[in-house]
Amino acid sequence: MPTTTSSAPWPISPAMPPVLEICDLRVSYVAGPEVLKGISFAVGADEFVAIIGSSGAGKSTLIRCVNRLVEPSHGRVLFNGRDMLRLDSGDLRRERRNIGMIFQQFNLIERMSVIDNVLTGRLGHTGTLRSLFRMFRREDIERAVRLLDRFGLAEHIDKRADQLSGGQRQRVGIARALIQNPGLLLVDEPTSSLDPKISREVMALIRDAAREFAIPVLCNIHDVALALEFGTRVIGLQGGRVMFDAPAAEVDQIVLNRIYNMEVL
Amino acid sequence: MTGPVEILATAVMARRRRSRRFSLLFQAGIAALVLWSLEAIVIGDTDWSRITLASVGRALGRFAEFDWRLMPDLLEPALETVLMATLATLLGLLLAIPVAWLGAANISPVGRVTYVLGRGLMTLSRSIHEMVWGLVFVAAVGLGALAGILAMSLRSIGFISKMVAEAIEDVDTGPIEAMRAAGGNRFQVLLYAIVPQVLPVVLGSIIFEWDVNVRRSTIMGLVGAGGLGLALHRQIVSYNYGGIVAVILIILGIILIGEVASNRARQAVL
Ligand SMILES: Nc1ncnc2c1ncn2[C@@H]1O[C@H](COP(=O)(O)OP(=O)(O)OP(=O)(O)O)[C@@H](O)[C@H]1O
Ligand SMILES: [Mg+2]
Repeated sequence: MPTTTSSAPWPISPAMPPVLEICDLRVSYVAGPEVLKGISFAVGADEFVAIIGSSGAGKSTLIRCVNRLVEPSHGRVLFNGRDMLRLDSGDLRRERRNIGMIFQQFNLIERMSVIDNVLTGRLGHTGTLRSLFRMFRREDIERAVRLLDRFGLAEHIDKRADQLSGGQRQRVGIARALIQNPGLLLVDEPTSSLDPKISREVMALIRDAAREFAIPVLCNIHDVALALEFGTRVIGLQGGRVMFDAPAAEVDQIVLNRIYNMEVL
Repeated sequence: MTGPVEILATAVMARRRRSRRFSLLFQAGIAALVLWSLEAIVIGDTDWSRITLASVGRALGRFAEFDWRLMPDLLEPALETVLMATLATLLGLLLAIPVAWLGAANISPVGRVTYVLGRGLMTLSRSIHEMVWGLVFVAAVGLGALAGILAMSLRSIGFISKMVAEAIEDVDTGPIEAMRAAGGNRFQVLLYAIVPQVLPVVLGSIIFEWDVNVRRSTIMGLVGAGGLGLALHRQIVSYNYGGIVAVILIILGIILIGEVASNRARQAVL
């Protein structure tokens, strides 16, 4: 595989400080062995980092440490220079508003309308009393409509989320993350519940939006072909360690075989 | 020649024979228990000389009468009965919500302690009969519908809060994570990720409980706690069999109407 034709912005220019910096991150679930055994890397503002690795390698755990859905036991997670692990619960909530998350199972509220689902991305900016009556601000509603229209869901705005197809639901999930106006997107296996054609559409959607709004992306993805196509950089995890970390264009079969221990490919 | 399959089959056969022997023994035990209780509390304890074909016939004959004059006087208590059931169910729901919150293991505010408290309240509410609560409240707030409403609502807490707490424990955690990840606070997570998921259970259980409360409220009057039961009591103490029949028929009618209404509501909701 040639390494010279890469259009990936790599290495990041030293003038630009990383958006996310992870240092010696370690995690163990209650009374278990360490699942992450000292992970370190930094993500620049214009990167789309694809994280690959076999099942159980710790991809989800890693991504969930960034917004502390999982509490790490050691290390630092600097987001725009602030250590996420040192925030108290109020500051954590405020910082989470700036980090969008997209899930494998979409995690929509099934019995709620599509637009209300998107608007929940604004909960962090909406007062408790307002949210009790679902009184979202006009500019939030306009933004939700615009995003849904962009994703071809304009005619489904008032439908219940459980009436949509898998691909459509993931688009709602993406719109919910984007309406946060995030400074970072965390994406955990966005395509595992979708068929191959829809998977590529969804990945393209995430990439294009990330480019347009200049949001760096940290994306777990099983499918190596998708990782190489959409990622600007690929990080390979194995057994809770970074096995390699390289621009997408430099990843070759030998590296992949090493990472999957020949078992997946 | 006995291969591994034969050895295994022999072991399986022996196991099956043992479990068959055990279940036979178990059934024999149950039969003995039933026979013993029949002898002890029915056969030995009944004054058989009092029961003749004629006496049974005479008693049933009295119930064949029907006291029409009573009907207009029964309309108001009948309405009161249905209203009591409705108010008791709503009050029960209101009281059940905090109990469900305490008793749902995954969201109980202080963990183990509040969880046990919540579960305890559920059991307390369910284990004391509404007539007993009725007596308590008649003593506390006097005769009338209020005592009945309070009694039934306390009884309703148990069922509603148990159903809701279990629904809360079974919620899909995905939306909860999504709301937390977006920076939602505890209340917003509850409101957006949990409430929509348990709403069908809440509605289903209040419809069910309303149906049950309609039945309960028809007899709450027996302890002076309002509704048709009081009329029933009056007819019973004055040995007016025709009147008893009239009240019972009205009760039957209300229960039938309640059944139909709750079925309709259930269909509309689910
Ligand atoms: N909540 C949890 N409690 C205990 N152990 C957990 C928990 N979540 C994950 N683990 C363990 O941590 C390890 C890493 O899991 P993780 O979900 O991060 O892997 P993954 O790379 O995302 O795998 P997959 O590709 O299957 O999603 C696994 O061994 C898993 O069993
Ligand atoms: Mg995972």
